[in-house]
Amino acid sequence: MSDTDLGAELVAGNQDALAELYDRYGRLAYAVALRILGDPGRAEDVVQDAFLKLWNNANQFDIERGSLRTWLITAVRNRSIDTMRGRGAHERQERELKPELRATGPTSDPWREVSLSLERAAVREAMDSLPREQRQAVELAYFGGFSQREIADMTAVPLSTVKGRMRIALEKLSSYLTGRGLIDVPTRTDGGIGSGLGPERRRGR
Amino acid sequence: MEESVAVWALSADEADDGAFIRSHIQACPSCHELADRLDRAVKAIPLAVDDVAPPARLRGRIVAAAALPRPTTAPDRTRGRRRTAETYKRRFEWRVLERIPAYAAAAAVVLALVIGGVAGDLAGHRSAAPIPSQVARFTLTGEGALAGATAKVIDLKTDRFGLVDFRGLPALPPGKVYELWLITSSGRADPAAVFVPDGNGTKVVIVNHPLGGYVTMAVTTEQGPDGSNIPSRLPQMSGSLA
Repeated sequence: MSDTDLGAELVAGNQDALAELYDRYGRLAYAVALRILGDPGRAEDVVQDAFLKLWNNANQFDIERGSLRTWLITAVRNRSIDTMRGRGAHERQERELKPELRATGPTSDPWREVSLSLERAAVREAMDSLPREQRQAVELAYFGGFSQREIADMTAVPLSTVKGRMRIALEKLSSYLTGRGLIDVPTRTDGGIGSGLGPERRRGR
Repeated sequence: MEESVAVWALSADEADDGAFIRSHIQACPSCHELADRLDRAVKAIPLAVDDVAPPARLRGRIVAAAALPRPTTAPDRTRGRRRTAETYKRRFEWRVLERIPAYAAAAAVVLALVIGGVAGDLAGHRSAAPIPSQVARFTLTGEGALAGATAKVIDLKTDRFGLVDFRGLPALPPGKVYELWLITSSGRADPAAVFVPDGNGTKVVIVNHPLGGYVTMAVTTEQGPDGSNIPSRLPQMSGSLA
């Protein structure tokens, strides 16, 4: 079953689909929460919260536009950072996104597994290829939830340097992954930022 | 502006800047395209994390919670049809009836989980959750003049660096700095960072060094601005990295 089909089952209220979604992405979701929080108990709570939010709002999810995995992992990341920093969801500002990594892929499970495995290997390779300071800037922002100013302060470099590192790092990642066909090249017809229902953007510092 | 777009894509912008950047992105075609592109790269970042198996009970918790009624209504598949009050009444009655077994099943599962959780707690099994291999946390405590200070150490093992989040540090005398040390089991102290806390006594310090191989982290007050190559005094804060 593809993610799109799974999304349709979630919308229809099929609880088996939620279990299937968990079997598919639960390990990744938990790993991301654990990476950010470093606390198994809190990571567990965050993952449960994210899955249930997706379940409870499934009828608002545009399966034609968004990736279930992206939605889920973004929700896990945002909640983890809010938990780490003692913030509530009310401090976040919802932001609509659009499809990121391919929402649909091979439909059979073995192919999906292989595809996901290759995709993750490529992302690791891309991250490893970044110079240390660029990777650090991106990771402190993504996994640490730190702002550009906080990162500048921590790394004792000018704010402009942090911004430059972030931009170059993301450009390299984008270029690397696009070159391997793992990210769709944006088009003017796919809606772009602001279209479709997607995961919320973390906000509130 | 392009660099601000990258910062925005990573949600690392300051709250005051976010609205401006967003409005610019929506109005500027080239920044819109850039934001699209970088946003997709950002969404790929978590895929670099190695899988970690969650506790087996988590799946059961999620499935049990999902058995409860959704707080929001399901999509209305009868949209456009004419419905009478009687239709609504019948639908409501039918929904209640069809959900009774679901409520009962959910209650049973939740009860079983609660009982299992309590039993697990009593047996000390709850602490058996897998400890992450990628991240380790430690605590530093102060003594003497730094008795009220604490620090949380986060060892990002796979990234080969650490973060130390200090709280309650006293203000330093003029010309002095705090210096962080990594100490081996043989007692060798390697300088790790020099820092000055913020006005409220907090500071997050990056240790650009793998913490593996060290048994203790310690803090001393040293001469600024560069600190010292060897500790000039006994540690005022310390904690085990084991």
